[in-house]
Amino acid sequence: MTQEYVEAPAALDLSSQSAVVGQAPPVVEDVTYERILEARTEPHNWLTYYGAYNGQRYSPLDQINTENVQRLAPAWVFQFGPTGLHAGQSTYSFECAPIVVDGVMYVTGWDGLVWALDAKTGQELWRYQHAIPFDTPLCCGNVNRGVAVAKGKVFAVTLNAHVIALDAATGELIWDKPYGDVRAGESATVAPLVVKNLVIVGSSGGEFGNRGHLDAFDLDTGERAWRCYTVPKPGEPGSETWPDDSDAWARGGGNTWVTGSYDPELNLVYWGTGNPGPDFDGSVREGDNLYTDSCIAVNPDNGEIVWHYQFTPHDVWDYDSNMEMILFDLLDRKLLAHFDKNGYFFVLDRTNGELVSVTPFSDRITWGEIDANGNVTRKVEPENEGEPVHFWPGPAGAKEWTHAAYSPKTQLFYVPVQDTGATIILRQKEFKEGLPYWGASVGVDKIDMQGYVKAIDPTGKEVWSWFNEVPMCSSVLATGGDLVFVGEPTGEYNAFNAHTGELLWQFQCGSGHHSAPTTYSVDGKQYIAVPTGWGSWVEGFGPGLVGAPKGTALFVFALPEEGSSGHAGPPAQ
Amino acid sequence: MTTSEDELSAAVNELGLDRQNKAALGRLLPHGGLAHAEEGPDGRLHAQVRIPPDELVYNPSIIVMPRGGELEIEFFNDDANDHSAILPNNGDKKLQWLPVYSRAKVTVNLDAPGTYWFGSGALGNDEGRGLMGAIAVMGDVPEEAKLDRPDQPRP
Repeated sequence: MTQEYVEAPAALDLSSQSAVVGQAPPVVEDVTYERILEARTEPHNWLTYYGAYNGQRYSPLDQINTENVQRLAPAWVFQFGPTGLHAGQSTYSFECAPIVVDGVMYVTGWDGLVWALDAKTGQELWRYQHAIPFDTPLCCGNVNRGVAVAKGKVFAVTLNAHVIALDAATGELIWDKPYGDVRAGESATVAPLVVKNLVIVGSSGGEFGNRGHLDAFDLDTGERAWRCYTVPKPGEPGSETWPDDSDAWARGGGNTWVTGSYDPELNLVYWGTGNPGPDFDGSVREGDNLYTDSCIAVNPDNGEIVWHYQFTPHDVWDYDSNMEMILFDLLDRKLLAHFDKNGYFFVLDRTNGELVSVTPFSDRITWGEIDANGNVTRKVEPENEGEPVHFWPGPAGAKEWTHAAYSPKTQLFYVPVQDTGATIILRQKEFKEGLPYWGASVGVDKIDMQGYVKAIDPTGKEVWSWFNEVPMCSSVLATGGDLVFVGEPTGEYNAFNAHTGELLWQFQCGSGHHSAPTTYSVDGKQYIAVPTGWGSWVEGFGPGLVGAPKGTALFVFALPEEGSSGHAGPPAQ
Repeated sequence: MTTSEDELSAAVNELGLDRQNKAALGRLLPHGGLAHAEEGPDGRLHAQVRIPPDELVYNPSIIVMPRGGELEIEFFNDDANDHSAILPNNGDKKLQWLPVYSRAKVTVNLDAPGTYWFGSGALGNDEGRGLMGAIAVMGDVPEEAKLDRPDQPRP
């Protein structure tokens, strides 16, 4: 019998079956390169990944301060759970740095999600979700670190290595450019950086033996302006640091998965590069392996590397150097500060890459030693197949990608520290494209670990330290209210006195912190925006916490109105 | 321990794990067959998916696209229960309700290689894990997205 079918209702956009508004005020229309250059002159906004091109993660906002922070309370919460199967099913995490423009917040999540939210109420204004294959190869989690905004557009990367431009008012796709090869193990998680009329993005996938690169695209058209490889081809400068009789360079890693900073006067972008591949087996890539584990200073007009500084030559400990490059000036010197996974705090002259100082910032460093002139003495490294080797810091580093902050007011750096060791057993592996290429079995210590928030002056001297029983792996935010904010893996969100390290306020968010909170104000009221949600490569940076509560909530805190004990009240109009 | 897919299927059938509420509560890792999406005169790829009675599967539940692009799926619900499909799509997931004895066409854009999930997760009263399927997009990324390096060995 032939079935008589009824016509089903037409397919719907899933977001249409929600309270999403579908439109945001056109606040990004007027966001220009010139405004981003002067981002800190409009402290009510957080216009670019670090708050400003200098990478400091500092806001001069001071409404919330040491005198009143004890009253800080949730103003609103935005939540959004996962749907269906997605890549790295158990590893999704809310890692982004919320961008705020004149009352509108732009946020990314896991699995290709981008949102515009009302920064005052949390109302979902629009939603975009890029379709991501659930077999996308990911080393370290289904995550994304945020957007860039300019000229009416929101720029983001997708896990399957596309860079997309969305209409900031509607969330509709304007252009979409693939810039990585998922079959080669490439992916993308970085927050883009807008410089002039370009949007610059980096690649992920250093655990799959690919070749790191930065790419720059025209803001308006999406046409690629340049690509800068972080591992040279044979014959190019730096190629002498790779074997000349193999394809090691072609699998050399040096990925660029964390946003860089920018000095407009020098016209240099400073970008950190990741570990060489394979992570732990140095025998197949003799030499220093430039430009892995380095800061590269790149001319944004043409993508050329102007200078470099390598923090860990011939790395066999997985000591990526992707983390922030903080630009600051001292005694008329233009300097760059970097806390590396290898446990050392570097200060460079950012005009030429010369080392100014290097000091340890972590308690236990056994892999090797770096002297005051930057000379490296290797002490413990995996060399023999099947032989366990233990070292500190472990491969998640003395500091993870999550960021330090610098307060020009206190002239101190604030850094989250992970004091965790690991045992590596060398297991050599034949390279096959698209498969993990670590060269070892990794076991991070689940006991005898700890963490800190440390305040460190530009000479490397520790000014104060706050101890925690588990590693600290969330970005620090410093404010003009003499406060330092940082979250814990166990869910607490903390405010410290920036001068003394005294813990002044704490709120339990219910899931661990592994994101980059930001601050802004709307109608004269200051807010702290805190994405929470425990995930990513937890067994690396949070050993013993793989089973901790998951979550996908964005908490936003503010001071209650005078005479109010909290934020419950009549609905927003 | 079984050694081949045929032996596995026979063992699963013998235990009753391939039927609703026979051995376990639902059907073990339920899935239907595989079909290749075919290109139509409109340049889009097309596939048909049916929901047979009392099996709680999409059939086929594996759709193979030879390349990225637009895919039009025509659904037929032959079951006496309501079902649905949430589908991957660049921009926003698509939600297709599938009432009893209904048919529907839905078009999605999947422009990149890899395997995508679709399922009946929107229907609160769907049994157990509900219906699940996969759309496998074959092919490579565009040349301009590839790495500048010699061809490398693949698995």
